[in-house]
Amino acid sequence: MPLVSRPRLIRTIRFILYGLIAIVLGGFLFAWSGLYSVAASRGHFALTNAILTFGMRNSVRTHALGIGAPQTYSDDLSALGAAHFHDGCAYCHGAPGVPTDPIAQSMLPSPPDLSTAVRDWRDRELFWIVKHGIKYTGMPAWVATQRDDEVWAIVAFLRRLPTLDAAAYRELALGGLSIRPQIGREIATTEDTSGAMSACARCHGADGRGPKSHLVPVLHGQPAEFLIAALEDFAAGRRASGIMQPVASGLSPAERERVARYYAGLARPGAPNRLENAAAVERGRELATRGDPNAKIPACRDCHSASALNVYPRLSEQHATYIVNRLRNWRKGVTSSSATDPIMAPIARSLNEQQIDDVAAYFASTSASASKENK
Amino acid sequence: MIRARPFRYLLGVSMLLGGCTSDVQSVMNPSSLQAVQIAEVAWFLFGFGTFVLVLVILTFLLAIRGSLRVRQAVARESTVIWLGIAFPAVTLTVLLVYGVWVTRSHLNLTDGGSTVSIEVVGEQWWWRVMYYAPAGPQIASANEIRIPVGSPVTLKLKAADVIHSFWVPSLGGKVDMIPGRTTQLQLTVNRPGVYRGQCAEYCGGPHALMAMDVIAMSSSDYAAWLERAATAPATPETDIGLHGRSIFLAAGCGACHTVRGTAAAGSVGPDLTHIGARRSVGIDTLPLTRENLMRFIVDGQHVKPGNLMPEFRILQPQQLEALAFYLLSLKAAD
Repeated sequence: MPLVSRPRLIRTIRFILYGLIAIVLGGFLFAWSGLYSVAASRGHFALTNAILTFGMRNSVRTHALGIGAPQTYSDDLSALGAAHFHDGCAYCHGAPGVPTDPIAQSMLPSPPDLSTAVRDWRDRELFWIVKHGIKYTGMPAWVATQRDDEVWAIVAFLRRLPTLDAAAYRELALGGLSIRPQIGREIATTEDTSGAMSACARCHGADGRGPKSHLVPVLHGQPAEFLIAALEDFAAGRRASGIMQPVASGLSPAERERVARYYAGLARPGAPNRLENAAAVERGRELATRGDPNAKIPACRDCHSASALNVYPRLSEQHATYIVNRLRNWRKGVTSSSATDPIMAPIARSLNEQQIDDVAAYFASTSASASKENK
Repeated sequence: MIRARPFRYLLGVSMLLGGCTSDVQSVMNPSSLQAVQIAEVAWFLFGFGTFVLVLVILTFLLAIRGSLRVRQAVARESTVIWLGIAFPAVTLTVLLVYGVWVTRSHLNLTDGGSTVSIEVVGEQWWWRVMYYAPAGPQIASANEIRIPVGSPVTLKLKAADVIHSFWVPSLGGKVDMIPGRTTQLQLTVNRPGVYRGQCAEYCGGPHALMAMDVIAMSSSDYAAWLERAATAPATPETDIGLHGRSIFLAAGCGACHTVRGTAAAGSVGPDLTHIGARRSVGIDTLPLTRENLMRFIVDGQHVKPGNLMPEFRILQPQQLEALAFYLLSLKAAD
C-alpha cells in the first residue's frame, strides 16, 4: 500500500502547477499595473533591505576570494589614492571636512560614510568593489579596468581614511595645494566653487613644486606636444587610466593645450631621488646610453633626451617610482592605442626587472640641464 | 573527388615547372665552382639512379614474364649475391669516393686560400653582413652581400637569436646558422650577376620574407665598391636633407640603426650608412623607392607582418618625406 494514494498525488501536483502559474501571472500583472513604487524617496522595507544587503555582501566576499592583496601600501600609493578620491569619490561618499553632497545623499541606497564602512571589508573586497562597482546601487566600476595598480591606490587610501582628520585629509588629498579663498563675486559668478576638485596641481604639483606622490609623473618642462597628445589619448580612452581619463575628458581641446603649455614652460622641480644606489645608476646609464643590442633593447636616450622629437617625453629628473610603475604596466600587458605605444611597448616588454629598476634610478638621478649639454 | 585528381597533378607539375623559369634562385642554374660541383654530382647520381631503376624494372619483368630458364637464372643464389650485394657495395663505394672527390673543395675550409672573408649573421628577420677590410672601418650592410668573382670567398655564418639557414641555390648548398657557433661556407662565383637567397630554416613570423641578394662583381669593381663603402656619406647639403637628418636623429632612429659619420650608432637593426645604394627596403620585401621607404617606416607591419621595427605613425607627412629624402641620399659619391 503506497504512502499517498494516486488520485491524491495527481491533485497535489495540479495544485502546485496552478499555484505557480498564478504567481507568475500575478507578478506580471502587478508590474504591468505600475502599482509598485520605484521611488528612491520611499526606501526599502527593512526585510527587503536585509535580504539585499545579505546578497551583496556575500557576492563581494565570494568574488574577491582569488585576489591577492599587497602586505603594505606605500605613502606614494595612498597619496595618489587620496587625490583621486577627492575628485572621484568624495562627492558621494564625503570625506573628513568634506560633507557629502545632499543630492548624492538622497540616492537609494545612500552612499555610506567610508571612514566607518571600510572596517567591514577586507582589502581584497574593497579592491573588488572599487574595480567592479555594485549593481543597482549607483556605485560605478573603475573607468579603466586594465589598471589594477590605480585601484590599489584607492584601497591604500581607504585604509588610511579612518585615521584622518579634516586637516590631515586636506594635506593628503590636495597635495599641499593652497586654494585662494574666492571673493563673494567669484563664488556668485563662476562655475567652479569646488575647492580645486579637479586641479592638475593636486597630483602633479605646480610652479616650483613637484608631484606629492612619486607614482605621479613630473610634467614640468615636458614638451607641450607630448602633453597635449597624452591628454587627448586619455580623454579618448586610447591610454587607459581611471584617474586621468575623467580629468582629461572634462577639458576642452583649447584647455588641454593651455594647461600643456603651462607645464611645458615650468622648470623641473629638481631631481627627487638622487644617487640612491650608485651601482644601479651606473648600470642604468649604460643601458640608457648604449642599450642592450643582444636583448634587442635600443638606447633610451635616443628618444628621451632633450634633443628628441617633441612627441616623446623627457625622462631626466623623472620619479623612479613612476618610471618603474609605467614600465611594469607594459610588462603586465596594459595596452594602449596611442601613436607612440607601438614604439615603446615592445621595448618595455623586453626589459627585465633589474633593467627597469636600473634605468629608472638612472633617469631619476640625471638633471635636465646636464642632459641638454650632453646632446 | 576522383575527378579532381588530374587537375591536382597538373597543378603540381605546373608548380614544379614554375621553379625552372627564374634563374636568380635555382639549383638548375649553378653559378659558382661549388654549385657546379654540386650540380655535377646531382646529375651524375640522378643518371645512375635512373640506370639502377631501369635495371630493377627489367629484372622484375624477367622474373614474372621470362621463360623458365631466365626465371631460374634470376632466382639463382649467385645472381642475388652479384646483383644484390656486390653491385650495390661496389657502386655505392665508387659513388661516395666520386662525390667526395668532386666536392673536395667544400671540405677543406681552413686553408688560407680565401682572399675575402665576410660575416653573415642571421637575425629575426634579416641578414647582417659585415666585411672585414684589412684596414679602415668595419663595413656593415644588410640583406645584400657583395662578393668578387673568380676568387674563393669565405662566408662566416652566425645567428643572433634562433637557428636560420643560409641558402643561395645558384651558388651553393644550404648551411645552418646556429646561435653560439660559427659555420662556414666557401664560394667561388663564376660570373657576375645577382643571385637570390632565402632563409631555409623556419625562424618565426616573417621567415618567408627573409630573403637576400648576393651580388657578384668583377674583382676590380668589388675593390672599388669596397673603397666607396668604407667612406662615410657626405653631410646633406640641401635643407630637406638636413631636415631629414635631424628627424632621423630626433625620432630615435639611431637607437637601432647606424649611419657612420653621425651620432646614430645603434646596432639592433640594419646599418643604414649606404642604404641609398641598396636595392631594397624592408629586408628585400620592396624595391628601394621613396614611396616604399616611407610606406615601410609608417606601415611596416603590413608590408612585412611581425617584423621588429615599430611603425612610426607619429611622423608628420613633411617629416616623413624629409626622412626618406635623407635616407635615399645615403650613398658614397661615385
